[in-house]
Amino acid sequence: MPGSPLTPCVPPNSWTPGSPQTPGSPRPPGCPRHPPGGWGVLGGAFLQAALVSGGVRAMGLCLRPLGGAFGARAGAVAWVGSAPLAALQLGGPLGSALSTRFGARPVAMIGGVLSGLGLFLGAFATHLTHLYLSVGLLAGLGWALVFTPSLGTVGRYFPTRRSLATGLVVSGASVSGLALGPLIPLLLDTYGWRGALLLLAAITFNLVAAGALLRPLPIPNESPGPPQDQPGLVGLLRHGPFLRYALAFVLVDVGYYVPFVHGAARAHEVGCDQRRVALVMAAMAGVDGGGRVVAGWLAARPATPLLRHLFVWVALTGLTALVLPLGTSFEGLLTLALTYGFCAGALVPLQFAGVAEVVGTGRLIHAIGLMQMFESFGSLLGAPFAGWLRDVTGNYTVSFLAAGAFLLAGSLLILTLPGFFQGKEGSPAPPPDDPEPPPDPPPAPPRAALDPAV
Amino acid sequence: GVSGTSVEKNITLDSAAGIELSCRLDNKYSHLKSLQVTWKRGNETIRHINKTENSWSIQLWILDNSKLGSYSCTLKGEEEISAVFLLQGKEKPIISYEGDTAVMICKSFGYTPIAWTWYMTNGSEQIAINDSLLADKYVINRISASVTHLKILKLTKEDDGVYWCEAAFELGKSKGKLQLKVLSLMVPLKPFLAIVAEVVILVTIVFLYEIYSKKKEKRA
Repeated sequence: MPGSPLTPCVPPNSWTPGSPQTPGSPRPPGCPRHPPGGWGVLGGAFLQAALVSGGVRAMGLCLRPLGGAFGARAGAVAWVGSAPLAALQLGGPLGSALSTRFGARPVAMIGGVLSGLGLFLGAFATHLTHLYLSVGLLAGLGWALVFTPSLGTVGRYFPTRRSLATGLVVSGASVSGLALGPLIPLLLDTYGWRGALLLLAAITFNLVAAGALLRPLPIPNESPGPPQDQPGLVGLLRHGPFLRYALAFVLVDVGYYVPFVHGAARAHEVGCDQRRVALVMAAMAGVDGGGRVVAGWLAARPATPLLRHLFVWVALTGLTALVLPLGTSFEGLLTLALTYGFCAGALVPLQFAGVAEVVGTGRLIHAIGLMQMFESFGSLLGAPFAGWLRDVTGNYTVSFLAAGAFLLAGSLLILTLPGFFQGKEGSPAPPPDDPEPPPDPPPAPPRAALDPAV
Repeated sequence: GVSGTSVEKNITLDSAAGIELSCRLDNKYSHLKSLQVTWKRGNETIRHINKTENSWSIQLWILDNSKLGSYSCTLKGEEEISAVFLLQGKEKPIISYEGDTAVMICKSFGYTPIAWTWYMTNGSEQIAINDSLLADKYVINRISASVTHLKILKLTKEDDGVYWCEAAFELGKSKGKLQLKVLSLMVPLKPFLAIVAEVVILVTIVFLYEIYSKKKEKRA
């Protein structure tokens, strides 16, 4: 009955198959603004973003004492930092498949346990290989099981304000990034690397609480019964626009991380001392968080062409990367770094919100997972490639130019997506949300099938 | 100073800093004309000397430990007088756990030592570590000409303390100080258990709240 909070209030724009409602159309009277548990989902997903991103970054910060303790060369130890990132991204589809089958909440909670366990076991490692397996594989896998279900759930809970919700959530990563700066050295100095890993494991266990907040959404027609993941994933692999979208972000990822990873070294190169280097990097991280929230807010207003916003931010990020080599003084570098950080942060929530624009909410979780897996190729290649360019040419100019070029190439691919140039009558409404996605994607742009025959 | 004697000053920095070192000549020597003062680091002469009436100084940016070491200002007049500044980093203690293996590293910048010796402190004495005698406890590796590793196996509380690495050169010796702290696993275990308890409480609260709000909805 209207007025009762128990009525399945169907929010506009995504839940009933075939309904051509547009975002911003009035809610049925008596319906809560968001499904119950929405705030919890936001909080849980924010915590997840902070802990997963924080955990991965923390590993990078612990590399030096680890290397010292095992007497290993920098190259061998670096794998302890990059393996969890690789596992996180490559494990994306697994996270999606499992959470579609079993629900986001249990999978995320188990992921929290696994990642905490991985770090816990790492604290007792007696050999570098133990660290690869525990921190790299186990913790990375755990993080993968938390990441995609969380983002997917946010996307489904907030169909009308997806980008703002995603922006708020992913800003958690910036918060933890800033907190880690002082926290990790403090842990390392007080407890050594073993104690630090132990405490990081405990902190990571909070992911279980984050997962608990992902309340399952009561969707009328959806049943998690038969494993639909196979058809879902396979269907996505034949979905032209999705493939282009994923490829765009593979290219973006090649360039995206370069200023973050090599920024400190570049600042040294132009003569900044340690304090100024730390300032530049911290400023970049802080501004990154701001960019995420602002861009999410900007794109969340009804009837905004999200893909166009995404294109603008990616292009701006690429252009800033291109001019980064021009920053040869502290002030110049700081200004450019702030610009880059802001634009780079801005594109993150729009990337995830944009997935729903391309493939619809029903396949959102799968698409995020698959996209993450593709992206891993870009992100794993990007920073080492830039490092190699620097070794070959003697400074970072070419590295940043290359990063900018890849980012711009990715932005150009976004231009080719359906719905980019189309007008805004009925604005980008995602394709219908069937529990069973059609075996073959419709040949014409999905929106054509939905054009309100009004 | 006076003819023949040398002055030495130790400066310890605990973080990257800009520093100015200056040598000042006592007033009673200001009658000496045509003074030539050179600042050097090892054999390398440093330019950019700031000079006032009777003082000569240099400015250094110490960004990392490759800039640490001995800096000297030498006065060439009738006699040669020099003052030496020894810049050292403040070493952070190395933290390890009982039963674990600790690796301590010493590096020499600028000069290649002929030999390295490791010492441990017992009370106020320094005892050389003989790794062939106690091969299952200590392992000393010379990784390269200017880097040495001391590995201590099967740590116990007694291994806690100060260690010295001494580099022997043709003309003298130089020592570096390292501190090893051996903790028991109980130390981080307490905060670990506290945080895990917090997680359990948090999860319980989440589920209890959900059950409560569902009951509220049903009643409404």
